[in-house]
Amino acid sequence: MKKNILNKTIVAGLFTVLLFIFSCNDNFVKISPEYSIDSENYFNSPDDYYMALVASYDMLQATYANVILGEIASENTLCGGESPTDVIGWQQVDQMIHTSTNSNLKDIWNWMFAGVQRTNYFMEFKDKLEFDGKEQMIGEVRFLRAYYNFELVKWFGPIPLKMDKRFNLGDETSIPRSPVADVYAEIEKDLIYAAGVLPVTQAETGRATKGAAQALLGKVYLYQEKFAESANVLEQLIMDGNYTLVSDYNSIFENEGENGPESVFEIQYTDAEGAGFGCLQCSEGNVAVGFSGVRGYTGPLFSPGFSFDVPVQDAIDQFEPGDHRKAVTILDIVSWADSTGATYTTGNEHTGYFNRKYLPRKRSENAQNDLNLTNPNNYRAIRYSDVLLMAAEANNRGNISDAKAQEYLNLVRRRAFGDLNHDVTLTGDALTDAIYHERRVELMGEGIHFFDLVRTGQAANVIPGFTAGKNELFPIPKEEIDFSAGNWKQNPNYN
Amino acid sequence: MLMKKKFTLLLTLLLIAFVGWAQERNVSGVVISSDDGLPIPGVTVIIKGTLNGTTTDLNGNYMLSKVPVNSVIVFSYIGKEMKEVNYTGQPKIDVTMISETTQLDEVVVIGYGEVKKKDVTGAVSLVDSKTISNLKPIKVEEALQGTVAGVNVTQQSGSPGAGLDIRIRGISTNRDPSPVVIIDGYQGDLNTINPDDIKSITVLKDAQAAIYGTVGANGIILVTTKKGSRNTAPKIKINSSFGTQETTRKLSVLNATEYAVLLNESYAANGQALPYPDISGLGKGTNWQDELFSTAPIYNNDINVSGGSDKINYALSASDLRQEGIIGGDKSGFKRSTARLALGADLNKWLKFNTTFTYSHIDRKSFNDFGLGSVLFNAVNMPATVPVYGTDGDYFLAPANVGIEIINPLQQISNTFNDYKLNKLNGNFGLDANFANHFTATARIGYNTAYTNYKSFSKIVDYGGKVFDVTRSSVFQSRDNFNDYTFDAFVTYDNTFADLHHVTATVGTTVYKTYGNNLNATGFDIPNNSWEFADISLANGISTSKATGSYVYDQRRLSYFSRLQYDYNGKYLASVMLRRDASTKFGPDNSVAWFPSATLGWVISNEKFMKDIKKIDLLKFRLSYGILGSDKIGDYQYISQLSGEATYVFNNQLINGRAVGALPNPFIKWEQSEQFDAGFDMEFLDGRLNFTADYFNKKTNDLLIGGIPVSGIFGIAAPGASGPTVNAGTVCNSGFEFAVGYKGMINKDFSYNVNYNLTALKNEVLKVNNRTGFVEGGSFGVGQPLPARMQVGFPIGYFYGYQTDGIFQTQAEVDAHPSQAALGAEAQPGDIRFKDVNKDGVINSDDRTNIGNPIPDFTMGLNFSLQYKNFDFLAYTFVSLGNEIVRNYERAQPNVNRLSTSLDRWTGPGTSNKVPRLTTAATTNNIFSDYYVEDGSYLRLQRVQLGYRLPETTLRRIGIEEVRLYVAISNLFTLTKYTGFDPAASSGEPIGSGFDSGFYPAARTYTLGFSINL
Repeated sequence: MKKNILNKTIVAGLFTVLLFIFSCNDNFVKISPEYSIDSENYFNSPDDYYMALVASYDMLQATYANVILGEIASENTLCGGESPTDVIGWQQVDQMIHTSTNSNLKDIWNWMFAGVQRTNYFMEFKDKLEFDGKEQMIGEVRFLRAYYNFELVKWFGPIPLKMDKRFNLGDETSIPRSPVADVYAEIEKDLIYAAGVLPVTQAETGRATKGAAQALLGKVYLYQEKFAESANVLEQLIMDGNYTLVSDYNSIFENEGENGPESVFEIQYTDAEGAGFGCLQCSEGNVAVGFSGVRGYTGPLFSPGFSFDVPVQDAIDQFEPGDHRKAVTILDIVSWADSTGATYTTGNEHTGYFNRKYLPRKRSENAQNDLNLTNPNNYRAIRYSDVLLMAAEANNRGNISDAKAQEYLNLVRRRAFGDLNHDVTLTGDALTDAIYHERRVELMGEGIHFFDLVRTGQAANVIPGFTAGKNELFPIPKEEIDFSAGNWKQNPNYN
Repeated sequence: MLMKKKFTLLLTLLLIAFVGWAQERNVSGVVISSDDGLPIPGVTVIIKGTLNGTTTDLNGNYMLSKVPVNSVIVFSYIGKEMKEVNYTGQPKIDVTMISETTQLDEVVVIGYGEVKKKDVTGAVSLVDSKTISNLKPIKVEEALQGTVAGVNVTQQSGSPGAGLDIRIRGISTNRDPSPVVIIDGYQGDLNTINPDDIKSITVLKDAQAAIYGTVGANGIILVTTKKGSRNTAPKIKINSSFGTQETTRKLSVLNATEYAVLLNESYAANGQALPYPDISGLGKGTNWQDELFSTAPIYNNDINVSGGSDKINYALSASDLRQEGIIGGDKSGFKRSTARLALGADLNKWLKFNTTFTYSHIDRKSFNDFGLGSVLFNAVNMPATVPVYGTDGDYFLAPANVGIEIINPLQQISNTFNDYKLNKLNGNFGLDANFANHFTATARIGYNTAYTNYKSFSKIVDYGGKVFDVTRSSVFQSRDNFNDYTFDAFVTYDNTFADLHHVTATVGTTVYKTYGNNLNATGFDIPNNSWEFADISLANGISTSKATGSYVYDQRRLSYFSRLQYDYNGKYLASVMLRRDASTKFGPDNSVAWFPSATLGWVISNEKFMKDIKKIDLLKFRLSYGILGSDKIGDYQYISQLSGEATYVFNNQLINGRAVGALPNPFIKWEQSEQFDAGFDMEFLDGRLNFTADYFNKKTNDLLIGGIPVSGIFGIAAPGASGPTVNAGTVCNSGFEFAVGYKGMINKDFSYNVNYNLTALKNEVLKVNNRTGFVEGGSFGVGQPLPARMQVGFPIGYFYGYQTDGIFQTQAEVDAHPSQAALGAEAQPGDIRFKDVNKDGVINSDDRTNIGNPIPDFTMGLNFSLQYKNFDFLAYTFVSLGNEIVRNYERAQPNVNRLSTSLDRWTGPGTSNKVPRLTTAATTNNIFSDYYVEDGSYLRLQRVQLGYRLPETTLRRIGIEEVRLYVAISNLFTLTKYTGFDPAASSGEPIGSGFDSGFYPAARTYTLGFSINL
């Protein structure tokens, strides 16, 4: 009997002890994740800032969408693809029937704002630590912020602005869409600062330089028709003499010509990392390139793609005889197939032509799948020839100096024709038209022409379906209008 | 004087003799069974407290001699309730013995305790081991299909080893609606269990599960495993079966000649040259499905030994299952081996110990079996004009004109190499201490620990310029370690006061922790481009991007619970429960959850006024209401982590940075469900006929809606980022459950069992608080908008697309209808006419509407079994009504193969009002509309089985108790209007299921097997 009670007491005691060991208090469930870094307690070393800087550059790769859709929007190309409903958002922009429910326009809004948010994450903590080289990093971050805001204002017009702090929940209903002039003012501030602190060359290729900031600033001034300021900063760039036109036009766009002497700012891509359709903005490769490729292609030099963004005959006819740029810009697949025995199939709106500058090339063994999404072709965002033509335009339209305008224009033409026989001696409005024409052929396939047409008021005349007073801007995504709960109104004439 | 004395003596002697005779008499009688009225031989008849006893003979007769008056005679027999009779001198005592466990007295596990079935006040269903062994499922979940009202089980794929999804009373959340599985008291999963090791499964469907608090909202499945029984000699049971599997269905697609004819027509319609000017030599061509499907064997063997002495019970078992796939030969297969030991022991009078220990090993190989680019998708879309092999004997490359994703499916399989192995240990240790009168303390710990080893090899292969071409070989290897443990400690008090008030109180705590890690890496450049050499140890290639990865996780839950059960004389029953949960998943502002609930029962049949109604054995009303929760939400969503992707390229090298991941939500909390149930149980005819009906209403609030669309200005579209996860939705599942079962007996050789259950379910989303009012998901076609939605007023995951209204027969009809150009092309005669749903005169994306949903309105099970002499037969049927499926395995590309239904296409006015014209030009016929939505209702004969028991007498002589042979067919036929492979398959996602991108169909299996009981 006694033994029984003793036994029970021992067991009851053991039991209670067990209970205490395991039956912990609520601290058992208050734990922090292992191997994880919390965003509000970051920026504790220069390396942390560098990592956030890399994150800010990352969103540049998503601008492939801006490039290809910008080109499709112009009268240079047709949308193409597999069928008339392939990437319906792009098809609708091509026909100028896009609406606020266009998912591809929403992507551009989202991805560019993601870029702004990442730069503002850096800027929010810029004063936390002092270290050598911080000022230059800030210069790069502000350059990137300006780049993203410039894309946003080009596509959508007035946009909400927040400087040096991330957007927080609630801002969408309280921060208004700033007028275009205000947005540009902030962009200018960022670029002026960047141009002041960035070095002429960077040890790491792909990082922003003084020239990049100056060129973008000049472009931004030109878009606002601030011709004097534009001419001023662009000529500083030209005078600094750090860039030259590459004589073999073809080599600019081949792999070996990446980050060449003509490259003022180049968006870097690689095929060393795999990508999938589930997250196109995650791809380290140039997605636009695969989408532009020749459908079902087998043959030398190139590799296949989805046949989007196909040039039309009218665009090809813009090239004057003897212009070396034509063969580099346009791939005439019929002749190519005839001469090399290459084979291909045809897609929607097949024109027989392809955007050769950004066409997928044969890949190395190391190229990762999906090969259509991981093309390594860098996007030459700002080329020196673009700088020269912008300087020409600023000088001409700003009535500053037609002579200088001709000089810059002819540099580009001499490289294009390889001789001095195609110089332009026009002045005034005729020169303006010549500059516009030169921009079109020099920059064909690079996603720039549509915005040139819009900012110079020519779009309605040449783009089929373009409605003046409406299509100069793209519609704000409908979801954003809803999220803002009345704070943001839609762009004119879109519903 | 002497006369008087003699007389007195005689009288006294007589009296003594009489009394003596009265004191010890002979008693005899017959003992019969209440089940069938037949005599029971072998019943022990004994005088209580003595060794004086006997047994009944073959006719149930017994005779006891010298039985003292006022003694107690005890009748006992295995399986029957012991009967005691007071002997007061009656010469004959006939006894009727009742079966020990009538259904009413069956004990049901309800979570941290058990109650008798008659005292259950919640909606609880039981599946016993007999049902499980009747169905012989490969995976346990299959045994719940059609056997339990309110439970729906869907298969993710027919491929060997594929997972199954269980849904109890509808889909209660847009995240993970699967119920938690508790095995012998600890949290576990059904994946690796050998079904033969299970003694019973209890499904808690309503607030009865509330004692599990934040784990109970989707219902609870309680599994009790076999542990042997006391006082039983060792029973050895061997089961073995061999089966052949074949596909249940093949799709009807065009043969080569039909394909060419229709292709010519489609090219001509667009003014293009005919691709097949001469169709005469084409014949039938390749039947790709015939090339892919084959028969495959399945072997299943297990052995178990169980028994016990009076202080110990034990069960030992081992099993081995090998299943090959009906597609893929040795590239697809599932092997499972288990070994198990269960032991229970009484350490002393008041302390019991129990333990189980299971080792499982799984080996699985699989191939891409679902979606665009899967083997079946390729087989269905590949034209019959393409041969499997070329003239050189190698695989014939799929032509370029069918698009960049379609490849030769046999070539695809032969270039698929992967292997998955899992080793798992799970079990528990527990102590039950009856440390004071009416008090029991239980402490137990259950654990699972598993290691997986996965390898997949990507061989250099040229499919002909397709997206699956691989130019550099690589091997991916991944190791996971998963662990979890559940520790319970609780005290139960059980007492009856004044013989009428029965009280049970339980108080305790549960601690749960799940933790694990993974390490994975990819190696490049495999020697000889071959699977034999595919291992990172041999792969010397260098990659320029990160080729390794890993993760760790650690989540915990701390809970306290209490339950008070009361019944008044078994007539009025009530229980209340309260549980407190704290979990690492909840944000700091919502870290503790409380879950109260109550159940009530009224056993009307025990009322005095019901006593006269002999026909009704049981009539019980039940009511339950409670709050339960679900914490199946992502980890650490209240912290803003730098988990985003931030990779750029400097100096032509990839460089990684850091960026914010998902937006955090510090208020994140569990999903909360309010569940109400009203039901009644009835039994008639001595328990032969039983009947259960329930009405249920489950409203789940605070559904976690992740990647909540918020403005893009917050950077949520950046790689690795997303909107926050917010408790923002509500869904309601309501309906009826009805189950009836009858045990019939025609004579002692012929008995049968019929069970029918029906569930009627309505699912409706009540709230989606994310600014847009809906969450999108699913996928249809390529590049089309998301086709499924969770939206207020509709069932969760309903299909959102265009409604059709026949085919335009003439240009006049086209002109009379609003323009469809906004959808992608102008309509022409022969195209599908879409309804202008919002009547605004334009056909555009605003005309999309509800065109169906994948949730069945009714599910039924009809299960029949009979025994005739030594034969037994059963047929189990499952029916699903009202579920819709989207046909999503037709590639919208001009040159792919088509289903045979396209032979009925429109070719001129009046030729068809269903199937549109064929053309290679642009049309809007491929956009998501109800043309692609089909009725997926089906009736499936899940299992038909005929068995034969060898005559016992011959076997007994060689010491074998029973040998049974059987033949069975699983999935014998499926009646359905659905034209796809399998109407029962589903991806299991709440938003996005029901889109059939080429489900690997379930197999029909012909099995031959035997079982031996020693």
